[in-house]
Parts: sequence; C-alpha cells; structure tokens
Amino acid sequence: MTIVARVGATALALSLVGAAPVWAQTKIEFFFPVPVEGKLAREMTRLVKLHNDSQKEVEVTAAYTGGYDDTKLKAQAAAKAGKPPSVVLMSANFNVDLKLSGDILSLEPMLKADGTTREEFLKDFWPALHANATVDGELYGVPFHNSTPLLYYNVDHFKEAGLDPAKPPRTWAELVDAAKKLTKGDRYGFLMPAGYDYLGWLMEAFTLSNGGRYFNEDYGGEVYYDEPSMLGAARFVEDLIFKHKVMQQGVTEAGGVSTAFFAGKASMVLLSTGSLSFIRENMKQAYDVAFVPKNVRNAVPIGGASLVMFAGQNDESRKAGWKFIKWLTTPQTLGGWSRFTGYFSPRKSAYDMPEMKEFLAKNPDAKVALDQLPYAKPWFATYQTVAVRKALEDEIQAMMNGKKKAEQAVKDAQKKADELMRPYVEQTSLKVP
Amino acid sequence: MRKLDKHLWWALAAALLSAVAFLWASPFLWTLVASFRPEGAGSADMASLLPDLHPTLENFRTALESGSFGIYYVNTLIVVTGVLAVQCVTVSLAGYAFARLRFPGRDFLFYAFLLQLMLVPPALIVPNLRTVVDLGLYDSLPGVMAPYFASAFGTFLMRQTFLALPRDFEEAAAIDGAPWWAIIWYVLLPMAKPGLIAFAIVSVTAHWNEFLWPLMVISSPANQTLTIGLAAFTMGAESGKEWGVLAAGTLLVMAPLAVAFIAFQRRFVDSFVFSGVKG
Amino acid sequence: MSVASTSSVDLALGHRAALKPQRLRLLAYGLLAPSILFLTLFTYLPVVRVAIESLYDKPHGTGAAASFVGLGNYAKVLADPAFRQAAVNNLVYAIGVLAPTLTLALGFALAVQHSTRFSALLRTVFFFPSLVPLVAAASLFFFIFLPGVGLLDYYLGKLGIRGPNWLGDSDIALWSVIGLTVWKNAGYYMLFYIAGLQNVPRDAVEAAMIDGANGWQRLRFVILPALAPTTAFVTVIALIQLLTSVDHVIVLTRGGPSNATNLLLYYIFQSAHENFDYGKAAAATLISVAILLAISFGSLRIMERGARGNA
Repeated sequence: MTIVARVGATALALSLVGAAPVWAQTKIEFFFPVPVEGKLAREMTRLVKLHNDSQKEVEVTAAYTGGYDDTKLKAQAAAKAGKPPSVVLMSANFNVDLKLSGDILSLEPMLKADGTTREEFLKDFWPALHANATVDGELYGVPFHNSTPLLYYNVDHFKEAGLDPAKPPRTWAELVDAAKKLTKGDRYGFLMPAGYDYLGWLMEAFTLSNGGRYFNEDYGGEVYYDEPSMLGAARFVEDLIFKHKVMQQGVTEAGGVSTAFFAGKASMVLLSTGSLSFIRENMKQAYDVAFVPKNVRNAVPIGGASLVMFAGQNDESRKAGWKFIKWLTTPQTLGGWSRFTGYFSPRKSAYDMPEMKEFLAKNPDAKVALDQLPYAKPWFATYQTVAVRKALEDEIQAMMNGKKKAEQAVKDAQKKADELMRPYVEQTSLKVP
Repeated sequence: MRKLDKHLWWALAAALLSAVAFLWASPFLWTLVASFRPEGAGSADMASLLPDLHPTLENFRTALESGSFGIYYVNTLIVVTGVLAVQCVTVSLAGYAFARLRFPGRDFLFYAFLLQLMLVPPALIVPNLRTVVDLGLYDSLPGVMAPYFASAFGTFLMRQTFLALPRDFEEAAAIDGAPWWAIIWYVLLPMAKPGLIAFAIVSVTAHWNEFLWPLMVISSPANQTLTIGLAAFTMGAESGKEWGVLAAGTLLVMAPLAVAFIAFQRRFVDSFVFSGVKG
Repeated sequence: MSVASTSSVDLALGHRAALKPQRLRLLAYGLLAPSILFLTLFTYLPVVRVAIESLYDKPHGTGAAASFVGLGNYAKVLADPAFRQAAVNNLVYAIGVLAPTLTLALGFALAVQHSTRFSALLRTVFFFPSLVPLVAAASLFFFIFLPGVGLLDYYLGKLGIRGPNWLGDSDIALWSVIGLTVWKNAGYYMLFYIAGLQNVPRDAVEAAMIDGANGWQRLRFVILPALAPTTAFVTVIALIQLLTSVDHVIVLTRGGPSNATNLLLYYIFQSAHENFDYGKAAAATLISVAILLAISFGSLRIMERGARGNA
C-alpha cells in the first residue's frame, strides 16, 4: 500500500470510529420555560448537558422559550411548520387544550412498552397532580415541577406594625386586618401579580379558598365565573384596592411584585412557591411564608409544568424523548431541581431522600409549601385554556383599574368564555341526536 | 439691557436643551450604570443613576451564560449581511431600470413597488409565515431574510441616485460599445456609492433591530437572533427579574451598532438624511 | 444635469447593439424580475391569500372542517370589542405619538442646526434611541416604568411625587407606550428636519428679518411652510411605522391591561397565534392593509406635490 493509501485508509477508519456513535445517536429538541429568568434557565441547561454527557444514544438540544404562554406558542408554531420539538416542558394545565388540538401524544404506548400501567406510574406522584396529567383517562404529561401559591410576608414590617410574625393571617379577614396595619406611606400591605397567566391562577386560588371551583374538571367546556364563589373572590380583590386601600390600583406584573417585596414597598405578597429560592436569595430583610388565607376552606390550585411529547415525530425520536423524560424525572433529579428552584418535587419518594430531609430542616419555608399540598386541587384546564383564561383576566384587570364592579366583571367574563367555548360545546354536549 | 436679555435667552435655551438631552439619555445612562452594579434584584436603589463604588462584571458573565450571545451575534450578522448582499443587487438593477430605461408599464410597476413601502412584511405576518413554511424555509435564516430581498425603499433610493448622475459618462461608455451591465458596474455604481452606503446603513440598522418577523420564523435556539434572545430575557420571568443582568444583556445587544455609530457618526447621520431627502 | 428623460441613452444603447424596442423592454423586465419575484411572493401573493383565507372559518381543535363564511369573519372582527379597542387605541396612539414626535423633531433640528461641538453631542443623544432595537428599548422601559423602584418612580419619589401605575393602569398604559415611542423616534425624524432646514431659502428668512419679524414669526411664516414637504414625508413614514411595529407591546404589556394597549397588528398576532382563529386574523389583516393603503394613496398625492416642488 502506498503512503497515501495507508493514510487514506486510516483516515477512513478513524472517521468511521468517530462517526459510529453519532450514527446511532438521536437528536431531539426540548423546549422549556422557567419562571425566573436567568438562574433557572442556566440550571436546566446544565442538567441537559449532564444528560448529554452521561450517555451517547440521545442528544438533547434545549431551548429556553420564555414564559408558559410563549412556550406553548412556539411549540405549536414549530409543530405547524413540520418541525415539532420532541419534548416540551408545558404548563401543567395545557394538556386538555393540546390534546384537543391534536398537538400532543398520549404516553400510554410508552407506558405499555415499558410494561407498566398509568396507575403504577403515577403512584409515586402526589395525588393532586394526577388530574392535570391525565386527559380522558390517558396519561399525557409527566409532572416535572409543581407549585402552589404562597403568602410571603416581611417579618420586620410585621414586628414594626405590632403583628406577631409567628401568626401570619389565616383567613381573608385576618389578611385585611394585617394589611391595613402594614400599609403606610408609599408601602402597601398587600400586593399580588395581576399579569396574564398569573392572575388566572390566583383567581382560581381565591375561588377555591372561597369554597368553589373555577372549571369543570371532567369536561373542558364549562367554567364557573359567574358563580358566588368566584364573585366573592373578585369582590375581595376589588375591596383590597378600593375599600381597604391596602393594594395598589391597577395591574402589577410578577417582576414588579417581587421587586416591590425586596425593596420593602410591599409587606405581603402572593407568589408561587416556584420563586422560593429566588426570593430566599434576594430578600435582604427577614421574611417568612404561610398558606394562602382561606375564606371558606383551605384550597389552592397546583401550578407548574409537566413534560409532554409533541405529535409529528418519528418513532426513533419518540423513544429518545421518552428516555429523556424518564432521565429527567428520577427522584434524585427532581429532588435536586426542587431544592434549587423552590418548586416542589412531584415525586413523593424524593422527600424520603436524606438530602431532601436535610434541606427541609434547614429551610422551613420549603416545608410550609409542602405542607400546603394536601389542600391542592387541579389547575384549570379547558378548551382554549389561554383564551378562556384571558376572558376572565381582562375583566378582572378592568375591575382592578376601577373600570367595572366585580358583579359586572364576572358576568362579562362568563359571557366571553361561553362564546369562546361554544364551538367545542356544540360538537360535544350540545350535539344531541 | 437688550444684550443681557439675549444672553439670558441663550443661557435658558441651553439649559433647557441640556435638561431635555439628559432626560433623553437617562435610560442609557441607567443601562450603563446598572449593568456594572452588583446588587442584582434586590435593592431599593437600583434605579439610581449614580454608579456603584464597586463595579462588577458579574452581570455580563451571567447574561452571557444565560443566552448564547455568540450564536445570536453570528445569526444576526448573517441575516443583515445576507439581506444587504441580495438587496444591493436587486435595488441597483431595479433602480437602473426605473432611472434610465423607458418601457411600457413603467409607471404601473413604479406604483406597484411603492406598495411594498406600505405593506411591510410584519403587516402581512400571517400569510407570509405560511409562504415561508410552504417554501420549506421555516426556522431558517434564509426564511428570515427572504421577504426583504426586494426593497422598494432601496429601489427608489438608487433611482434617485442614478437620476441625479450626469449622463456623459454613460453615453461615452455606450458609444464605446459597452454593454448595459458594464455600464452599471463600471460607470454608474462607483458614482452612486454615497447612495449605496446610505442604503446599506439604513438596511443594516433596520434588520439588526428586527424582532416580530424573526420571532415568528425561528423556533430553534441555534437560529435565534439578538433581538429574540433579548426578548426571551425580558419576557421570560414569571416572578423574578435580575435587573442588572437585563441591563447587561441589553447593552450587549446595543453595543455593536452603538460603537459603529460613534465611530462613523457623520456617515450615519448623513445616510439617514440622504435617504430621507431623496425619499 | 439632464432632466429625467432617457432618450439619449436609449438611443446610444439602441445604436450600439441595434437593440430593437423589444430587446430594451426585455432588458428592463429582466432587471426588474428579481425584485418583482420577491415582491410577488411576500407582498402581493400574501394579500391575495389573506383575502381568500378571511372567507373561511376553521374552529381550532374541534375536528370540524373549514367552512365558507363569506363576510362572517369581518362581522366577527368588527363586532369584537377587543378589535374595536385596538382600533381606537391605534388612533389615539397615532395622534399621541405623531404630534409630540414631530414637534420635538423640529425643535431638536432647530436646536442642533448650527455646527458646534455641543450640537453634535446633542444630535448624538437625540438620535441614539433610534439605533436601538425596539425590544431593547422596551426592556429598559420595563424597568423605568416599574412601580415604586423603577427609574421614573425613584426620581419622582425624591421629589415627593408618587407615580401612577405606569403600565398597569388601563388609563395610563397606552400613554406610557406612547412615551416610549416618542422617545425612540423623535431623533430619527429630527434628521429629516435637519435636511429640510438646509433647504429653507436663506433669502426668504433674511427678508423676513429685515422686515422686522422676530424668531417666532420667522418660524411660523417662513420656515414652517418651507418645511411642509418634509413634514408630509415624515408624517407618512411615521404613520406606517406606527401601524406596523408592535414589538414594545409584545414585550411590555401583551396588549393589557384589559386591552388598554392592544393595537391592530397585535390583535392580528393574538388572533392567529394565541387563539388560532385564522379566519379572524386574516380578516383583521385585510382591514389593516386597507387602512395602510388608504394612508399611502392619500400621501402619494402629497409626496408627488412635494417631489415636484423639490426636484
């Protein structure tokens, strides 16, 4: 063999060696939103890199896609254009919507291939999460991180106002009382985010705490805006602004609420447990957390996200995506992510691990979030979830700006929502032979 | 007495102008100061325009880690140069046709071109997105560039430029037997350089700063441009915002154009003015 | 310099290659072809597509097929309070931005027309915002408008004034967005006025001075009329820009609170990408296109007049 031929052969051999794993490797795309920009996105990117480095069969390209609504938009746009992402971390309540539009895959085939059933698989997950993960009896999403709303309050302000920081407000009446004592100067006693997505969630929290519910968990065509429980909740929010004057008029975005809390301009805020570590890191004054105050009962919606798989991918990609999902949802990974973010781990077994026990002992605020779990209820999920939610949010926002009264707001919201859901309703329950 | 009045007037005017200028510049002053400020998300003084005593590069590091700014820069560069390259060809040719040639339907086509000035791609975002998908260009940089390859603005600019050029050189070249493309390449374009440069500056600026259209076309992170990356930053947070990092990220996006502007200020200003006067 | 007649060159070309009129025509069309190709794909064809699509309705996620509804979508759009709000907002937005922007642009131009170091600096400061992407500006203004601790409220607080909820108060939100837009665009239009000022006939100004007119009178009776073509031109570009750029709404307010900052293009964006109501989005697009065309035809007249005046 001549030199050239030998070099050529070596090169060929080397390239084949190098190429072999790449050949067998499946590349998939993973879209993910995170509620706190920056550090959570970085941590997720690190996790994905860990995954890619740990094995050669699946290479995941992770794309940070903004907030929950944006992620849904992007994923659906990509699917429409023929390039669906394989796995998406989707808001836990979008499953009904996405299943109806045919965007996501049922995970039952994957479970079957693994030789397990839905009940078996979900056994380790908190019961409150099951409803949002299943649609029409089939598993569509694997919960990844979950949250509930939580009341964060400034301990220093409490002491200053003569309130006992060990006894945070437990009922709406106590909340109003405390807020009144805490409001002074340019400082508000209470503040809550009222931007799109957050407001809907918090209104569900208030409605649930008021004894009612937001939507029909078994049927995606009914919402209960114009009912006493939601009306009472709306009136409560309205009074906080206009009657008791303990909350700023108008809409404040979540970023503004947390910033106000840090800057001491708001003494009590209602935020997600998903921001727990962010707040822990940035809050320089002493603070503590408490359950969402109740009026009739303690009940809160879950929030957070599940991993779903988009339709339109080939077999190989599907297998790879499922593998990745399983990797991402081991108790260890979920536990670590929970400690890092403040979300709680959807797997119960994560809390049996020593690191978690140690963490909870050191961070009692995380424990409070966990303690609220037994009171958690499913997140609203209907046909056209976003539009139906916005129908409510627009009205409540108008109410918070003093443009309408609570009664009118919920009535108008119900009307709009019913109109939005009509196409679906007409194809289902109103389709009487 | 009169002299005093006049001086007072001028002093007042100068003071007022300075105040307005300061107001105008304050967002950027804040960006500059905040991106070097260590606090992050917390203090009540984060709006202060006074620089911190211990400036830090931490925010920049965080911003760079959060987004793949390197990729964003490259993609943005590809888009602006790609668009400009094709535009130079299309607008020179079309501008020449309108300026120097007589043919039936010239006025009609002229107005047809004019339409594009009004119906900018973002206005037609819904159908254009579908066209891009149909052409198989979804989630690709060429898909972002395609709608801009023809530019009515550029065509008119070049037309004006050519119209203003003396014909003697062309006529001499034509009599010497030069074909049309040689006339354009060797005679007209060199003389039309100021117009082309003006157009280039306007085009690059416009496409560097574009947002809605790339947002719709691009989905994978490998193809994202600077504006998309920055928007993800701003819109991403559900409840947490690290303002220093946001400021740093914004600075990173603005920096190249800012530097180019400061270096070539005269050219920039002249280009925009030039394009406006002729427009 | 020869007037806009092309006969001499035509003849020259014609002589040389014995180009028949057809060849000349072919050449012209050939030169225009690439541009026309892209224009057709991305300007003309879309309008046709959107017109057709607006006549159909395909409800999302119900499995029902697309149905022909004629003008039904237009009726839906015009009856939609969100659309009406967006239309009203756009009108308020247009006037609210145009008036201050033009005034400031002219003011700045007058201030910097003398070439001193100071005015060069001023020019840079005023023009700089136009160089920055709108999303970047919006990000900055998110912070500026932050209640309590943002830039505005911080310094207002030092003066003892309590700022309103800039982006969260539905009465003020649109004006905050207007403020951002004015800040961003004034410097850009200032440049056109600078050029326009250079074209103001010196003798007319001097004559006015000799006649004893003071600064204000000179401005009103000599300079402003001379700037009419520039003003017309700037108005047209500004109007087009105001209808077609919603980056800041996307980033800052998402049309909220309760549609207070919804604009026509944002409404279209929402209908298509959030509500998946493509029929409605198409109808709304066509309506916007009609408005854009109305503006352009109206302004064409003015531009022609101006061009004839200037050339």
